[in-house]
Amino acid sequence: MSSELTRRGFLVGVGAAGAAAALGGCATSTSSKTAKQTGGKVTLQSDLSSPQAKAAMEKLIAAFNKRGGAQASLNTVAAETFRTQLPSYLTSGNAPDVYTEGAGSVARAYADKGLLLDVTDVWKSMGNYSAALKNLSTDSKGRQIFVPTAYYWWGMFYRKSNFAKWGVQPARTWDEFVTLCKTLKSKGAVPIGIGAGGTPGTPWVASSWFDYLDIRINGAAFHRDVLAGKHSFADPKVKKVFSQWQTVLPYFDPKGTARSFQDATTALVQGETAMMLIGTFFADAAPKEVLADIDFFQFPIIDPSVPVAEEAPTDGFFASSRSSHVSGAKDLLTYLATAPAQELYTSQSSGISLPANPTAKDSGTALVVKGKAMLANAADLTQFFNRDSSDALQPTADNALVKFLQKPDQIGSILTDWQTAATQVRSH
Amino acid sequence: MVTLTASPPPKARQAASRRVSPLLLAFVLVPLAVEAFWVFWPAIQGVYLSFTRWDGISPPHNVGLANYRAMASDPIFRSALWHTVIWLVLFGGLSVVGGLGMALLLQRERRGIGIYRAALFTPVVFSLVATSLIWQAMYQPDGLINKLLGAVGLTSWQHYWLADSHTALYALIVPALWRQIGYVMVLFLAGLKGIDPVLYEAARVDGANRWQQFTQITLPQLRSVNSVVLSVIVIDSLRSFDVVWSLTKGGPYHSSELLSTYMFSEAFQSLRLGYGSAVAVVIFLLALSVIITYLVRAFRESES
Repeated sequence: MSSELTRRGFLVGVGAAGAAAALGGCATSTSSKTAKQTGGKVTLQSDLSSPQAKAAMEKLIAAFNKRGGAQASLNTVAAETFRTQLPSYLTSGNAPDVYTEGAGSVARAYADKGLLLDVTDVWKSMGNYSAALKNLSTDSKGRQIFVPTAYYWWGMFYRKSNFAKWGVQPARTWDEFVTLCKTLKSKGAVPIGIGAGGTPGTPWVASSWFDYLDIRINGAAFHRDVLAGKHSFADPKVKKVFSQWQTVLPYFDPKGTARSFQDATTALVQGETAMMLIGTFFADAAPKEVLADIDFFQFPIIDPSVPVAEEAPTDGFFASSRSSHVSGAKDLLTYLATAPAQELYTSQSSGISLPANPTAKDSGTALVVKGKAMLANAADLTQFFNRDSSDALQPTADNALVKFLQKPDQIGSILTDWQTAATQVRSH
Repeated sequence: MVTLTASPPPKARQAASRRVSPLLLAFVLVPLAVEAFWVFWPAIQGVYLSFTRWDGISPPHNVGLANYRAMASDPIFRSALWHTVIWLVLFGGLSVVGGLGMALLLQRERRGIGIYRAALFTPVVFSLVATSLIWQAMYQPDGLINKLLGAVGLTSWQHYWLADSHTALYALIVPALWRQIGYVMVLFLAGLKGIDPVLYEAARVDGANRWQQFTQITLPQLRSVNSVVLSVIVIDSLRSFDVVWSLTKGGPYHSSELLSTYMFSEAFQSLRLGYGSAVAVVIFLLALSVIITYLVRAFRESES
């Protein structure tokens, strides 16, 4: 009978089917199915795509698999892809099980939507971790949803040989810092390097200046409130951050918004710029032989009455609540939290990161000892702009801060525009 | 009276007898199903999403026309629209002029002409990664362009091309053109090949000069190609995304933002998928309206 289909009947049928499908709207409905499948490997979705970090992760997974028991496989994707795809990974039915992620409000936001696996029992094996790290890994319902494995610090990095050549010392206070900039400029160097542009762009590094100036002037608590939307970016206290910034803006690299932080690292290594506020990951972009000549100093103290906070972004892992290998995923997380696993990763990767497990040995270089001590002495730790707010808010900061670097006289409108953009992002 | 009672033509019987063969049906149905699933269905979804507020995770909320109303008062949307118009005019206009010019220059068969054509077509073949690496190197603060300007003493002309809000958009049009001209040239070359040489001979006998031949013969004869080129250019301008995204991501501070990049960053960076979909619908309507306007005009001309 179906072979007696007429053209018109056929088209009507297709139309009806299309309309029915359209009304269903099923592509946007979040499926609640979780496949209960126990066999197979635990997949670890990683955004650590730089060659050394990727190789270190591969070694780590190989070591995990060698122990017998649950088996895991590594899937490395580019950071950009990872970030834009993460929501669809977490909401799809047969997604990867474990993910690399930064600690902070991004993870918490996913946990509040019920997308993350409760790993409270993994934390039972992590009794030696600091209370601060446990706090950072806990969601609003009091469950642990994150396993930290490493953290790093930001500082004003410079080459020891160049500072000796110019006859200058690291600065401790803001006044010393301004004097240092003046001296460096008189010696013909560009005092402050930055890599807030380039291709592919790294405008987000400019947020470190905003973060640090805000936590030095207004304190970490106020800073978190601003990022959470409790204060406007156009608040007079936020404006103070920028008037402080303006006093050293003439010492910034004029090419700073045209080069990436990798190119800015090259400029620092070659002595074109004298110092740069950056996280320790920049070492990946620096030649191995100059690392011994690299040192840093703490971001200068502006108001001594403000408790000293430092940026200490923490990296680690979380798992999807839709994982079909729950016990395997927890085994993997438990392994990643152990001291031997973190020592293996630290020794294989090139970054100057600190293992999160307090019994794990770090690389022990002078730089790492100094960085670790700085964080240990801090009264409070912040993560970083996006980690303390959301990935969605980061582009609004990038636009505002790069514009400020180029057109500081428009700061009034920059801040009101920033607030408008932030309100839009927060309202979705 | 007789005519009124005349029996109706036997339509129903005709339709029933005109059976469709199963094979033919499969040839129509399978591609249609694939097309419907991969193209029509997501497109319908996109329109539906533009009336919602959705973060990609929780179920979407219906918000009616709120996204479109927000768009009307969104200064970044307006500047992205303006940049898209600039892009359409400069990128579209220059690729037609450049492509037609190159096609006219390279249409005659001479020795080695293939090399020139291939050279102009090469950028079309290059992968996006290669294209963006090449132009990134050119535009760098210490890149080729600034070095050349410095070498000839034009230091005041030096810019941080991609980082300067005044130059970023125009600096992006150049690599986009670099890729497009070769493509448009090939389309025009095909059109030029289709023109009967007898027309030119006749014109020469009548004493027409080169310019007259061009305006009276070449251009009218290319009319069918023109509509293809126009559609290609309008669609390519409105979806111009890869070059912009790989070089500036619409920055610095939205100064090279196009509708396409704004759509992407709103949808996938700010996770405002409803708003991003609304921008996508606007892009679609713009493309459709430009092309329909042209086609209607072209049909009218051919009728008169």
